[in-house]
Amino acid sequence: MKKSLWTGAALAAIVAGSVSAQDLSGETITVFGTWLTPESDVIESIFDVFEEQTGATVKYVGSDSFEQQIIIDAEAGSAANISIFPQPGLAADLASRGFLTPLKEGTAEWVAENYAAGQSWVDLATFADQDGNENLYGMFFRVDLKSLVWYSPENFEDAGYEVPETMEDLKALNDQIVADGGTPWCLGLGSGAATGWPATDWVEDLLLRTQTPDVYDGWVSNEIKFDDPRIVAAIEEFGAFALNDDYVAGGAGAVASTDFRDSPKGLFASPPQCYMHRQASFIPAFFPEGTQVGEDADFFYFPSYADKELGNPVLGAGTLLAITNPSEGAQALVEFMRDPAAHEIWMEAGGFLTPHKGVDTSKFSSDSERAMNEILLNATTFRFDGSDLMPGGVGAGSFWTGMVDYAGGKDAGEVATGIQSSWDSLK
Amino acid sequence: MHPAIQGLVTIIFGVGGCVGYFYFSNIVLDKVLFPARGVHAGRNINRANLVRPWLFLFPALAALSLYLAYPVVETLRLSLTDRKLDGAFVGFANYSQMFSEEKFWEALSNNFLWLLVVPAMSTIFGLLVAQLTDRIKWGALAKSLIFMPMAISMVGASVIWKLVYDARPEGADQIGILNAVYIFFGGDTPQTWLTMPFWNNFFLMAVLIWIQTGFAMVILSAALRGVPEETVEAAIVDGANPFQIFFKIKMPQIMTTVVVVWTTITITVLKVFDIVFAMTNGQWETQVLANYMYDKLFRASDWGVGSAAAMIIMLMVSPILVWNVRNARKEMR
Amino acid sequence: MDNIAGQKSSLTWAVHISVVVLVVLWLLPTVGLLVSSFRSADQIATTGWWKSLFPQEQNLVIRTERPDAQEFIDGVYVLEGNLFELGDAADGVVSVWGTSSREIDAYSAGETADLGDKGLLTIQANGDYRFENQSEFSGSRGQRVFMTAVSPPSFSLDNYRNVLFSNSSSSSMGKAFINTLTVSIPATIIPILIAAFAAYALAWMDFPGRALLVAFVVGLLVVPLQLALIPLLKLHLGVGIGKGYLGVWLAHTGFGLPLAIYLLRNYMVGLPKDIIENARVDGATEFQIFVKIILPLSFPALASFAIFQFLWTWNDLLVALVFLIDSSGDTTVMTRQIIELLGSKGGNWEILATAAFISITVPLIVFFAMQKYLVRGLLAGSVK
Repeated sequence: MKKSLWTGAALAAIVAGSVSAQDLSGETITVFGTWLTPESDVIESIFDVFEEQTGATVKYVGSDSFEQQIIIDAEAGSAANISIFPQPGLAADLASRGFLTPLKEGTAEWVAENYAAGQSWVDLATFADQDGNENLYGMFFRVDLKSLVWYSPENFEDAGYEVPETMEDLKALNDQIVADGGTPWCLGLGSGAATGWPATDWVEDLLLRTQTPDVYDGWVSNEIKFDDPRIVAAIEEFGAFALNDDYVAGGAGAVASTDFRDSPKGLFASPPQCYMHRQASFIPAFFPEGTQVGEDADFFYFPSYADKELGNPVLGAGTLLAITNPSEGAQALVEFMRDPAAHEIWMEAGGFLTPHKGVDTSKFSSDSERAMNEILLNATTFRFDGSDLMPGGVGAGSFWTGMVDYAGGKDAGEVATGIQSSWDSLK
Repeated sequence: MHPAIQGLVTIIFGVGGCVGYFYFSNIVLDKVLFPARGVHAGRNINRANLVRPWLFLFPALAALSLYLAYPVVETLRLSLTDRKLDGAFVGFANYSQMFSEEKFWEALSNNFLWLLVVPAMSTIFGLLVAQLTDRIKWGALAKSLIFMPMAISMVGASVIWKLVYDARPEGADQIGILNAVYIFFGGDTPQTWLTMPFWNNFFLMAVLIWIQTGFAMVILSAALRGVPEETVEAAIVDGANPFQIFFKIKMPQIMTTVVVVWTTITITVLKVFDIVFAMTNGQWETQVLANYMYDKLFRASDWGVGSAAAMIIMLMVSPILVWNVRNARKEMR
Repeated sequence: MDNIAGQKSSLTWAVHISVVVLVVLWLLPTVGLLVSSFRSADQIATTGWWKSLFPQEQNLVIRTERPDAQEFIDGVYVLEGNLFELGDAADGVVSVWGTSSREIDAYSAGETADLGDKGLLTIQANGDYRFENQSEFSGSRGQRVFMTAVSPPSFSLDNYRNVLFSNSSSSSMGKAFINTLTVSIPATIIPILIAAFAAYALAWMDFPGRALLVAFVVGLLVVPLQLALIPLLKLHLGVGIGKGYLGVWLAHTGFGLPLAIYLLRNYMVGLPKDIIENARVDGATEFQIFVKIILPLSFPALASFAIFQFLWTWNDLLVALVFLIDSSGDTTVMTRQIIELLGSKGGNWEILATAAFISITVPLIVFFAMQKYLVRGLLAGSVK
């Protein structure tokens, strides 16, 4: 007991702000999220530290049908103390119905100060409650980087290709690969009930590379309509990659139905089915068994246009902790998650990026993850995955289905108009 | 207490409680309230017989009203209100919004297609299997094998069929058997079966037919065995061929069971969304009402329209309801 | 007579053949899954399961051993070994191979490739390789080799080991198994009992509104489960049942009743009228008639419904998640355990396939056990 108190005190000294190891013996804190094995083991080991410090018991439950269950539990009044939301849109929705409890005062200031691009992380988790009052409801923990292109360095070497630095180079590389008789991209939109989402990332990334961040923000909040020519142009930009039979493995017709989890495997096939795969930082989990990131596979930043002068925009996403059933312990646990140690445990386990500036980057499990985190921290423009911010009916509904229709050959303008009208109907 | 022991105790209490309830309530009725003795014996017997059905029905009705009827009323209320306006009554606004959505009409027409095909095919296959396996030695084995899909969860079944329908790029090894067969028989390019508008509906239906045939088979083969031997033997003596025996002798006798099976599968079709959800999520024009409802409830969190969709699903069952009431009336005569 | 006999046997053949065709059609998807459950994820994703039963030609990518394993023999640096072993692949026969992804068939087995300053690489048909160089091998990884090889079928029990005995889930899978039984058995028996009484009343007792009640029951069959979840969970929390076994038993009972009543009533209506009327004339009470005559005669129907209800509760995840599994996570069921194994992003065919077969075993045992009763009940019926 003494030891744990001491560790607590030591940690309190390390952490900026004031984490005091409260005595929460006997209190049980329940946490609900989407993480399953192996992530659930990691989050539980983080909670173990908290348990040791405070004497509280933390119970974590993960579910694959989070979005449905959180609504049922919140409505019925049996939600866990803390819920870990996979996207802010759903949390905002629950906040507007009064199911979330604002985080302790001072959290916003702390996040703004200690996270890279801190204010944007605060803004992303600030929602209106049922009376329209704005509060900070969530703290981001674990971030995904989306603007990455994965490739096999040895295949590039065999063919004599260079990693493209600009979008112009990338497009030239596309044509060169085709001219050499290869296929540049592996691309799959299939994801069961969520089919279509990989395309939304493409459109968002391309929008950030063709328009200013203001346009992106306006689009996400629907001040700029979905069928605005600038947005339609970004969709068509995606089409230039995905709808070209020569550019995608299996031809454009296979894009919509290929599972996104299967699609990167073409990089490693013999002979290779493709040379590049644009996907977020989590995708190595779906590489063939034994693939080593940094050796067999590597990534480069999905480049921006040299002649557009929009800097190097980065697209990301993240999960946020929010309190769905208030208790003293719940607030304490959220506060504990500010601790760099909490982030470092997962950094060591791998597959974890964080905007926390206070973490020891030598703890990253690999150089490539350190490099990814570097991209995240050094982004001139960081934008959060737009589809996660849009209302569920659009961001997890008509945007997905619309992109599937587009990949199936529907006209971009028509698709965009359809998505906009579904947004309008949400009132 | 260990949950398993708790379970055992519950079974004993639950079962004991139920039996006790039925037993003692009957005794109370017959011996205490309306004893069949004395001056009013005859009147009492009549009165007891008036009350008794309700004794038998009470537990079931209580559970049904609480667990199913009450949510229906709640749904009806939700479908007429808007929770964003603090649950204000909005009349048919949710319905008219739903009717203006293209996806709803797509779902509705697909649902009719499902209703037409799935119950019919499942019942026909089920009947076929039940009849064919009736007299062969390894019939029980064959039945078990055909029943097997029933034992797989809907999500498991979706996985199995995704593997069947899988399409790999041209030239690569196919891992979906349907494409492998298609290519073997001279198909040129691998087909992505689940994205073919209109026809993909049938590929999804195949999954449900595959599952429900086992259900139809079990019920129908019990019914077929219930057909009195004498009637069949008489027909054989009269020189009827097997087809005549089946259609003229057996079918009429099991007709009510066929109706029951048909009804049950029809209702399953109306409710099923797991298959569509897991395989296409209603994209490529495969939307059905149940998945549309789910989408509205939990994705768009639009409870008004979601509830309205549920009411439509329940409305669609009304013709079957009427049919069953008429059937029940006929039986009672 | 001969003619009829011949006709009969050809008909019997037709029956046998059509049953075989149906069974094969129905079995094919499941067999695919069964075979897949013995293969690794990469195998499933690269070749069709039906091919795995025969030796097949595969394109493999395997690395030679890392440079730190090199030996200095007779003035040259040498790396030696067997590629199939290194790649954890089943032994096969190499036909052609290459070292560049652009030319995977540059050399035949037994040939030596001159890789310039990287050295000389020879690969034999059995996968043995010898890589030699005048200067020392450097770098952290071995040379990539692309081989086209014919490999014999290879299966493993790894997936089953993974699902049943992986360290994180071994104890919980056993616990989940018991929990699932704890949910399923009462949730099967209680509704049957309640429904049987109700079905008897609806089938054989005369009272006003009977047909309407039947319609009520059929109408409730169609209520989508998703709608009932929130009001009922609220109710359970409100009256203090909370989340737990009692709640899930009640919920399964409520949701299973309409089908139970409907199926049982239909069966009971078909029972011979004279038996019941004779018993009534003999002075038996309704309760006695029900217990002594109706229940034994309805055994096949009871058994078939028991099978369905058991399957439904066994395979259920949604009701368990809502009414049983609270946020403390102490209670779990098999279906949830499987979802847990599938991981956050899902899509692991091999685990799905394996899990499907593990969870199917109990329902199948139940079905086989019940099938006996189905027959016995029928015999009892035919003696009447």
